[in-house]
Amino acid sequence: MLLEWMMNGHAILYTGVTVAFWTTILIVGICYTIFDLGFRFDVAWFLTETSPFMWANLGIGLAISLSVVGAAWGIYITGSSIIGGGVKAPRIKTKNLVSIIFCEAVAIYGIIMAIVISNMAENFSGTTPETIGARNYQAGYSMFGAGLTVGFSNLFCGICVGIVGSGAALADAQNASLFVKILIVEIFGSAIGLFGVIVAILQVNNTDNLDLVNSCSKNIT
Amino acid sequence: MATAKMRVSYSISAFVVLFTLLNVGKCDEQVPLMLWTSEGISLPSQSPPPAGHIVGQDQLDAYLHEALTAGPRNVLLFLQDKMSIEDFTIYGGAFGNKQDSSFPNLEGALLSSPSPLVLPAVSWPASNAVIGELQDQLETSPLYMDAETLSQLRLNASSPALLVFRLPYGTGADLMSAREILSGNDEVIGQVLSIMKTQSVPYVAIYTALRPSQEAAAALSLEAGVGGGRSLLQSRGSHKERERERERQRKVKEKAGIYGPVEFKERDTTCILLWATSLSVSILRGGHWEDHDLTPSTFGEGVSPKLHGSVCDQTKARLVLNYEDVLGHRNFKLIFAMSQRHYQVSARRWFTMDAVELEYDGTKATFNGSRNIYAPAEYSYRCDSVTSFRWPALFPRSSKDPANQWRVSFEDFQIQGFNVTGSDFSYASDCAGFFTPGIWMGLMTSLLMVLVLTYGLHMIMQLRTMDRFDDPKGPAISVPQTE
Repeated sequence: MLLEWMMNGHAILYTGVTVAFWTTILIVGICYTIFDLGFRFDVAWFLTETSPFMWANLGIGLAISLSVVGAAWGIYITGSSIIGGGVKAPRIKTKNLVSIIFCEAVAIYGIIMAIVISNMAENFSGTTPETIGARNYQAGYSMFGAGLTVGFSNLFCGICVGIVGSGAALADAQNASLFVKILIVEIFGSAIGLFGVIVAILQVNNTDNLDLVNSCSKNIT
Repeated sequence: MATAKMRVSYSISAFVVLFTLLNVGKCDEQVPLMLWTSEGISLPSQSPPPAGHIVGQDQLDAYLHEALTAGPRNVLLFLQDKMSIEDFTIYGGAFGNKQDSSFPNLEGALLSSPSPLVLPAVSWPASNAVIGELQDQLETSPLYMDAETLSQLRLNASSPALLVFRLPYGTGADLMSAREILSGNDEVIGQVLSIMKTQSVPYVAIYTALRPSQEAAAALSLEAGVGGGRSLLQSRGSHKERERERERQRKVKEKAGIYGPVEFKERDTTCILLWATSLSVSILRGGHWEDHDLTPSTFGEGVSPKLHGSVCDQTKARLVLNYEDVLGHRNFKLIFAMSQRHYQVSARRWFTMDAVELEYDGTKATFNGSRNIYAPAEYSYRCDSVTSFRWPALFPRSSKDPANQWRVSFEDFQIQGFNVTGSDFSYASDCAGFFTPGIWMGLMTSLLMVLVLTYGLHMIMQLRTMDRFDDPKGPAISVPQTE
């Protein structure tokens, strides 16, 4: 059975890529260790040399894109069920649009957060870690973290609401009294997306420097 | 008693005789001999002797006879005082360093001659007698000449002539002057050959010597590395010999324009090493930058910069280069201050260049270098460009520091302040890594995109057409074209 699974094209591709990636990492790591060049593997250098802008913008991008993936996924799951159920029980279609709206809300959370975060990103002047300053680095990392937070919570929230909504539609098609009860489940599912938004706002607000203003005036010691 | 004495004296005399006999047959008593004809004249080809064969008197006579009966009767004999085949090995650019060869004219003549003959080992009593031999064969007396007298002489192709050019060889064992002497001799050969060419008289030229140059043979054993790859084959001598070899290598490298690092020695052990191809400082005066290049006063053969004030211990190293009259300042100091300590997170000792200071007239301009200039304490730090203005690695300590008026620029800079063994740098930790930050950022973002793409691709690839209601045996679907 493993062989059958192996014969699957996807499995070959993914195992091949994974093996190649990890082999490269392993061999490079071994070579560095053998030649006592382990000191060259410098995470701090990576974190201080990469621009905070990259992190900030990755956060913004992930915020909106992951939220939209969650919303889209939820909508297509629910939508297919509503349309399918609506063939035999057309009365369900109006009521079940609520599930679609719950999924859509997740995308709205994502875009709001993306706009809020991107408004906080401004130019800074400084080319070296000292002149850039710790506050700007924190800003970059917070934005990245906030973006990840809201993105992933919305992603799973959207999927969750979508699957529940799909079940709600089909149950509704069978028995109209079931819908209201199932709606409560959907509301719980939707709350988790909101949690993500709240935490992301907290992350981004905690950094009072968020203006990323020029820190030229700081004394460099 | 008498018989015992006789026996002793007999054995002593036998020993002396044997010794002299053996001395006569010593292996470095050969002289090379080169024979070539002018262009356009070719002799019947003579087979060169097998490798290692020492050509004796009779065989040499045969070669000369062959050459002179068939070829032109004008003979140029370049007779050097001493010569050995080792001279050509050492000074002839035989190991890929043709540009260092001391015999360009000789090589050109041998290559352009239609029938050159090289006898690498002629026993030296035979080479000593070559004048007499040529005299007999040509039946003319030798004329001792040099390049000037040759230009005044009119030669005739039909009448035989033996022109002898005496070339000197060094008396001392100084290797450098031997190279110069051989180059000088080669130039004389070149001049003579060009004069002969203008006169267009065919000739046979012979280049040999009266005696082997034993200095060359003896020097070669100590001479590892100077233009001779013999260092690879040389068996490891004593420590002193090795020191001498290294000393000579260093001298030659300096002559060639490659110089060693600035060394600061504390109690006879080298403590700090510094090397650069260029050290320069500039000051901003009246709106424009005035430069001063410190390299000639710091590096180069015979240049020893003053290092007073340099200090070196386990945790701190301070190299002070003292200069005079730099940009109008009488006493100018360039100071490199380094320190090393143990860092817990990496569990390793690192050294950093804490400051590069310029001290002049009581003012001190300080550049901070600890941000970029660091390396593990066992290694040296090397960077192609350490400047304070172009991708700066050195930053003025504060915005009010006098360093804001200065610019420093070090090219191909290498420094080591700790754990120096011998007088060479340890492994150089380069300031340029394999990937730049930009490459890393690009890789990270691209990797993220690729992951997204992979996931999307996976989703699309698992879409399947719905086949729940397929009925292969039922009627085919017909889509009417018309209403």
